[in-house]
Amino acid sequence: MRRFNSGLTLDEKLFVKTLNTYFLVTDNVRRFVRRDFYYAGTYLGKMRGSIFFPSFLLLAMMAKRKANKIVVDERSAWLFICGRDVFKGGIVRVEGSGERGDYTLVLNQRHECLGFGRMAFNINEAKDREKVVVRNISDLGDFLRREKGSEPQQYR
Amino acid sequence: MSGKEFFVRRYEDLGWKYHDVELKQSIRINTMNADEADVVDRLRSRGIQLEKIPFLRHGYWVVKSKFSVGASEEYLLGLYSIQEAAAQIPASLFTELEGKVVLDACAAPGGKTVQLADLMGNKGVIVALDFDRRRLTALANHLERCRVTNTVVYNMDARRASKLDFEFDRILLDVPCSGNFVTDEDWFSRRTLKDVQRNARVQRQILSEASIALADKGEIVYSTCSLEPEENELNIDWALKTLDLVVQDVDCYGDRGLTNVFGKSLDSSVERCRRVWPGQTQGFFACKLKKRE
Repeated sequence: MRRFNSGLTLDEKLFVKTLNTYFLVTDNVRRFVRRDFYYAGTYLGKMRGSIFFPSFLLLAMMAKRKANKIVVDERSAWLFICGRDVFKGGIVRVEGSGERGDYTLVLNQRHECLGFGRMAFNINEAKDREKVVVRNISDLGDFLRREKGSEPQQYR
Repeated sequence: MSGKEFFVRRYEDLGWKYHDVELKQSIRINTMNADEADVVDRLRSRGIQLEKIPFLRHGYWVVKSKFSVGASEEYLLGLYSIQEAAAQIPASLFTELEGKVVLDACAAPGGKTVQLADLMGNKGVIVALDFDRRRLTALANHLERCRVTNTVVYNMDARRASKLDFEFDRILLDVPCSGNFVTDEDWFSRRTLKDVQRNARVQRQILSEASIALADKGEIVYSTCSLEPEENELNIDWALKTLDLVVQDVDCYGDRGLTNVFGKSLDSSVERCRRVWPGQTQGFFACKLKKRE
């Protein structure tokens, strides 16, 4: 979450984990979590090697608070969830850092989180509308790719 | 004992004349994630025309669409689910779900689990089971996409549900069944009466287990998408006599349950069940049960 400059804080005492996958549970839900559970409460993400890969639920939680965010227009939103990168011309607004190398949430104009990416250029230095500014790392279209089997499944 | 002629004759004996059915696609708005009217407006602006289904709370027919309703931004944001109309009935039969502990005993791929979470406002707890680990991935994806946060999932056979040692206020038994010809074009050539009878035995085991895990004033909703009375009214009649359960009245779309099946008289309260013959929807059966006081 630090890489997104996120203002979200989570109480780690409310985490439960199975293999390399993390979940956030309320006290009420925790009463029903046994050691052999498969999924519980709010899915936060999983470790891929040494890197934590956030879930769309966690991204949506971060989007409600301070974080690096890029708000895109309708066409760019659609292209992003089809797996495409974000061009300068499609950006409506930037919140937080727009520096090259930073991770950023990608939102539509209703402030709904569509996924996240990484800044390919400093936003202020990218003058060309056709320049790719955000490289797509993860987008909601992943749900369809999982159904079709073309993406590695998120869960064990 | 198989083949189209055999089963069509059975349906006629039960009071329904066979005809071909073309299913209409339907969706259900996840009101825990969005305002219903807003979602309908958004989809209309994308060229998706919806029509309210009169017998469902948040269900809509897809009348016309420029593209697949399973590929829209709103779908991927979890604002609605694609769910067959009759399949939206069982979860809606429970009373007062708020704050309750609910078992969804045969949960994957998760359409009714998400619907339960929506009806519960994402509060309370749902324990969702499925014996097929491969299908749990689809269930987990569904929960994540629709932002469900009150559910715990186990890879477990519903016939062992009482081993969890939890007591449930509500239990949904949307049991594995033989299906029906509307959703499977090869159904008549694939299914035999032996399949139906085998499924009915498994369903009775699941019912038996659920009655152990049910809290004293709890409710069970039992449902299938089968047209065969062995999996429906005959199983309920068995449950009334063997498990000390009673059938509750429900205010719901569909015909009354059959109390005379191929010459056998069943408990008169079985008529409180609901049987949906194929037409506007696929075939379906649902009923609500409680422990006898």
